[in-house]
This record gives sequence, structure tokens and C-alpha cells, in this order.
Amino acid sequence: MNVIEINQLTKYYGKHRGIENVSFSVEEGEIFGFIGPNGAGKSTTIRALLALIHPTSGSATIFGKDCLKYGSEIRRDIGYLPSEVFYYEHMKVREVLNYSASFYDNVDYNRIQSLAEVMDLDLNKRIDDLSYGNKKKVGIIQGLLHEPKLIILDEPTGGLDPLMQQKFFELIRAENQKGATVLFSSHILSEVQKLCGRVAIIKDGTIVRVENIRDMQKHNYKKFTLDYKGIIDVHHFNLEGVTNLTVRENTLHFLFKGDINRIVERLQGQNLLNLLVEEPSLEEIFMHYYQKEELP
Amino acid sequence: MNILKQELRMARTTLVIWCIALIGVLSLFMLLYPSISGQLEEFQKVFESFPLEFQQAFGVADLELSSILSFYQFALMYVLLAGAIQAMNMGVSIISAEVREKTGDFLFVKPVSRNRVVSMKILAVLVQILITNAIFFTAALILVTLLSTTSYNVKLFALVTLSLLFIQIFFASLGLFVSVFLRRIRTVLPISMGVVFIFYIIHLLNETLKDEKLGLVSPFDYFNLSEITKNMNYDSLNLLLWFVLVGVFIFLTFKLFARKDLPSI
Repeated sequence: MNVIEINQLTKYYGKHRGIENVSFSVEEGEIFGFIGPNGAGKSTTIRALLALIHPTSGSATIFGKDCLKYGSEIRRDIGYLPSEVFYYEHMKVREVLNYSASFYDNVDYNRIQSLAEVMDLDLNKRIDDLSYGNKKKVGIIQGLLHEPKLIILDEPTGGLDPLMQQKFFELIRAENQKGATVLFSSHILSEVQKLCGRVAIIKDGTIVRVENIRDMQKHNYKKFTLDYKGIIDVHHFNLEGVTNLTVRENTLHFLFKGDINRIVERLQGQNLLNLLVEEPSLEEIFMHYYQKEELP
Repeated sequence: MNILKQELRMARTTLVIWCIALIGVLSLFMLLYPSISGQLEEFQKVFESFPLEFQQAFGVADLELSSILSFYQFALMYVLLAGAIQAMNMGVSIISAEVREKTGDFLFVKPVSRNRVVSMKILAVLVQILITNAIFFTAALILVTLLSTTSYNVKLFALVTLSLLFIQIFFASLGLFVSVFLRRIRTVLPISMGVVFIFYIIHLLNETLKDEKLGLVSPFDYFNLSEITKNMNYDSLNLLLWFVLVGVFIFLTFKLFARKDLPSI
């Protein structure tokens, strides 16, 4: 069964494009990644799902029900964590969470306490005294306290330190194992790779493709930057798996996909000043997707 | 009910401050009454020596300073002005605050419909207006009773004092409508001050012009205190107009907000 089904969803803000003909579906029980650079339309899609904005055309259903028509009913089983969290500033953390809980039936109030302990959050602090990361923790707890069947996360890890990110991922995995479906939006490829089974890739408001993470990992690209002492022999790296080869003065750039040892072999005997091997940025991977799309 | 409770909790301090301010404005004027009541005739003469237009513009044309209620009306005009600003502030801010303070992503993803949120927020404004009026009415009654040397017409006192309630409800509903009509509101006070003062100036203008059509524009004219004194009742046409306008504003508030996009942060 599909928990989320998005059908040709389009949103224009006046003449400004939000998203165009976005379609994908999320199956029950999966952790679905939603990835794209900033401004690609991730938040717009999510906000349309939550009926915070009204689509220009197209439709979306959650639990088989129309998002706009049955909005309030659907939202009983949704937990949402926005990318930036804001709460009523003069309230204490506990008061905000209790207020949040008061919207749902049968909330286990002990869960607030136990989640706060896991996330290491002081419930007696005032919201306006919290740091950005701690506010985010409030967001995580209020998104999970009613044990939602669908968890929607919009760039959730910003402001959390690596340790907290780890705990957060564990929490999400645990909820997933209990049966919750997760829609995880991010612009950081590596965190999506860690958590998700399938991903939808969005760029400039349209879905570029929907793919299995395992297939994506086959495209394990590395980005090489080589600073040469002398003249560069461009043809030296002319081998299978090398793309986007560019030369600028004494520097050679390329992307490589495949057995890393073959590059290491080629590097021997090269007169280098510096060598840099990096994960390619998302933009570069998207460039790659676009180039592939253009091929017949 | 949880939304109503939350709204009232958040508005607590502001409400107390406004109540103190309204009573303060009234006390300031009323406490002058004993000290000038001895020289009332001279005051009356001073006012009467002004040109009629001037007297009308300042709302002293029909002033009978010898009666405490007449003096009370003079003071009440400023309370109405302040009360209108308070009500308009509440109306403009109560929904737009969710966007301005960026808490909309919290409230509107909860399992409640937008109409329900709007109803609860309107109810919260109404409760605050009722509290304000109850407190102000009591305080004014005590003040006037303490300061009056002779007996006064309690019904007339009630009629003029209750005009605060009607004017506040009008401006609150206007504020609600304005807040959903405008795309984005950054600051509330300039909007509410601006709108209230425009209507107040139209009212002052009409005090001199006495134009019937212009009288339909400003809610301050619907509850013209000297007219109420003359007729011992509210004008039924104006009351009807008030009722229709408030209804339209509230209806449009629901209608427009249900379709409104909540912009991402």
C-alpha cells in the first residue's frame, strides 16, 4: 500500500515556479529520501502534502485520502519536523510539548519525558533561552510524541551535533521498525544514503528520477583534484569511468566512478604538488543526472 | 478548547496592560471633574466663545459640563479611541502572529481544520473584549458614582459605556479581515493605529459637516455619544449596518484564510 501518492503536483507562486508535475509515491513502512539542492522544491512539495499551501494543479493523497479535503483527519497520524523550528517564545519546553500533545487523542505523556531524556533536553527551560540545536530537539519530540504512522522530516539535521544526529537517526530507525513510514528530505546525500531505501531526486521543481539507494551507490563517484608541478598530460587519465575532465592552468579535475585502484596505479610517477579526493557535491551529481537525461 | 486556552494565556499580560490603560485614561479625565466642577460655568463660557465649527470638532458643542455624564462622555471619547486600537491590534495580530512568529508550521500541521483554528482565535478575541468591557464598565461605574454629587441616569451611562463593546467588536473584526487580506504583515501597531485614526478623523470631520452619508463611514459615528444622549437609544440603521459589516468581515476572514498559502520560512 502507498502511504503517500503524489500525482502531477504543480505549484506556482504567482509567476514564480515552486514545483512542476511532481509525481512519486511512498510505500508503507519504507524510509523514503527526498533529495535536491536548496530551492529545488522539497519544502514546497512537503508543504503541499500538509495542506499548508494549495497546489496550482495536481493532487496528493496520504493514507489514500486527499490531502486538502481530509487534511485535519490525515494529520492525526503525521509527525512533521520543519527545517527551521519556531515556537511560542515565552513558554517553557514542557508547556509547548503538552500543548502539542493536547491536539491528539491517547497521547502517552511519559513519552515526552523519555524522548527528552534520549535527546538530552531540559523540559523546564524557556523556548527563548534555547539554542538552535535545542529548539530542533523540541521539534523532534513534538513530531514524534504522538507515535505518528507517517513521519515527515524536512532537512531535520541542521543544528544538531554529530552525536545528536546519530541519536536522531536511531530514533527514526526505531520508529520505522515499529511500522512508521518516513519521508526524509535533505540536501546532504550521505545522510540520505545512511537511512533511506529509495530516493526521489528533485531539481528546479521537477523530479529527475526515483531510484534505489543501492543502485545509487553503484554510482560511487569520487572527485579528484590534482595540482601538477609541470605540464599536464591530459590523456594520462583517459580511461573508463572518468568524466567531467577539465584542466585549468596546473590543475586537473575529474570525476571517477569504478575501481579506485586503477586511479592509484595511474597516479604513480606523476609529478604532483597536491592531491585531493573528495565526495562530489550534490550539484555535481545532479549535473551528471542531467547529462544522462539528455542522452538519447 | 486547547487553542482558546493557549491564546488567552499568551494574551494575558497585554490584556491587563490595556485594561489599566483604558481605566487610566478615564481616571485622568474624571479626576479633573471635582476640581473644575466649581468653575464649570466659566469653562462652559470659554467653550461657547469658540466658533461653532471648532466646538463641534472637539466634541464640546453639546457639552453640558454641569452634568457628570456629559463630562464622562467627553472623557469616554478618548477611551473609545484607545479601545478601538486595542481591538484592532488583537484582530490584526491573532492570526497573523502565526506567520510573523513563524509558529504556523507548528499549529497548522496539527489535526485541526483551519476553520476551527480561526473560530477559536475569534472566540479568544471576543473573550478578551468582553473581559475588557466588564472591567472597564465596573471601573467607570465606580468612578462616576464616586464623583457625582447628584444622581445621574444609569441607563444613559450604560448605553454610552457599552458603545465601547460595539466599537471594539467592529475594529476587531475589521482587523481580522485585514490580517487575512494582506499577504504578509510585519508589524501590527502601524496598521491598527493608522486605520483607527483615519476613522476617527472622519468622525471628527463629520462632527462639523453633519453629513448623513459620511456618517455611515466611521463606526465612531454609529455610536455618536451626543446622539445617544438625545435619543436615549442606539440608532437602529447604524446598528444594522454595524451588524452586517461585522458579519461580512468575519465571513471573509474564514473564506480568505481557508484558501491562503502559508509561506515557507
